[in-house]
Amino acid sequence: MSKVFYDKLVALEHIEKEVNKIAETREEREELYRIIDEYIHHRIMGCILGKLPNEHHEEFLNKFVDAPHHDDHWIYLKDKIQDDVEGFLKSELSLVASELMEVIKGPSKKKLH
Amino acid sequence: MQNSALKPSTDLIRSKLKLHNLEARLRLADTHKHVSNMLMEKALDIEKLRQHSSRLLGAGALAGSLALVPPGSLSLPPPSEILHKLRVSSNVVPVQAPQKILLDAIRKVLPEKPRALTHQEEKSLEQIFSNVMGVNAKGTLEGEHLNTTYGYVGAEQHLMRYPGDNMSTHPKVLEDDEGMAPGRGAWGYFVSAKAALTPDLVETEKWYAVVQTLYLPDWNTRTRYLRDWYKYRKVLMLNTNNGNAVVAAVADSGPAAWTGKHFGGSPEVMNYLGGPRYKKGPVVVFFIDDPDNKVPLGPIEYNKINLPEWAFHQV
Repeated sequence: MSKVFYDKLVALEHIEKEVNKIAETREEREELYRIIDEYIHHRIMGCILGKLPNEHHEEFLNKFVDAPHHDDHWIYLKDKIQDDVEGFLKSELSLVASELMEVIKGPSKKKLH
Repeated sequence: MQNSALKPSTDLIRSKLKLHNLEARLRLADTHKHVSNMLMEKALDIEKLRQHSSRLLGAGALAGSLALVPPGSLSLPPPSEILHKLRVSSNVVPVQAPQKILLDAIRKVLPEKPRALTHQEEKSLEQIFSNVMGVNAKGTLEGEHLNTTYGYVGAEQHLMRYPGDNMSTHPKVLEDDEGMAPGRGAWGYFVSAKAALTPDLVETEKWYAVVQTLYLPDWNTRTRYLRDWYKYRKVLMLNTNNGNAVVAAVADSGPAAWTGKHFGGSPEVMNYLGGPRYKKGPVVVFFIDDPDNKVPLGPIEYNKINLPEWAFHQV
């Protein structure tokens, strides 16, 4: 399924619509999809590692790299972080979406005279 | 002055995204120096991770790996047994038979939520589709397999069939039409000029599907072959909530992995699968085995008698 365990939280359809508006070819569009995929991944990993105690980082990364799709990562993270993991990742994703939108569409509307 | 004047160029957007990306990557490595080697070498390459995940899920699907699928899915009764039981029990309501039989049968096979199906699950579905709908559909065809055959479909826009094609002349659905996509499909224009448009290609655009060729694990190594193989490849797309099904032709690639969707459908496909307000939902997508090109695109009307509570249900 080409799946990474956190995919279920990521539903940035509105960003895809904007990307499709600016990309003129398949190659251009797929490249932008990949850059955004990477950016989201970096931000999510940063968020997870920021919350996960340092002593578990290596173990988590090993588990993740071995089976990126596995839902058991949620159980592991909830156990070690003792917090609403999905909740803070959703907040991060919301921030990421706003940033991406600003990069793609330009600065938000301002009154120009 | 209009806000559109502020819109950056595609090159500028790409550069900015790359810069954001690089900053996020370096910040991560810098913040977590104790694992930075691992991060930089393995854990941050999402493209490779997705390819690795596809291979794992593909291998798991073939082996019916216990680690990947819930218990119970490995001990499915044979499809013939499922169908026999359902036909016997549906004798009391014969007018609803085909669609109800199909829905009841696939619900015995499909997992609760979309995921990559096992080889056994796909084989069971193939037999059910063949027996109930009379459609020869395959999870794997000529050795090719999608990363998932059970996922979420999302609404797409019409595709430009030739340079200058627009919605003033392009056919549309009666209600809530999605309009035309701003860019071309993954295979470009269908024809180079309006005069070259054939009825077959009109149907191809009308009943088109989108699949994630870009995430296939071997896309980068077999690009040319796969690009040709997937072009206008016929697929069965079945709404697993109501049993509505169409034969569609693959004419674009996507959606992006970060949309929560795995397939796309043209406005006509989505309209038939779930009505004009159907924008996203679970579907099974199998290849149509049609070497002589005899299967027409469009609705599979095995279910002309509809279940009142589900058929053409508008989501």
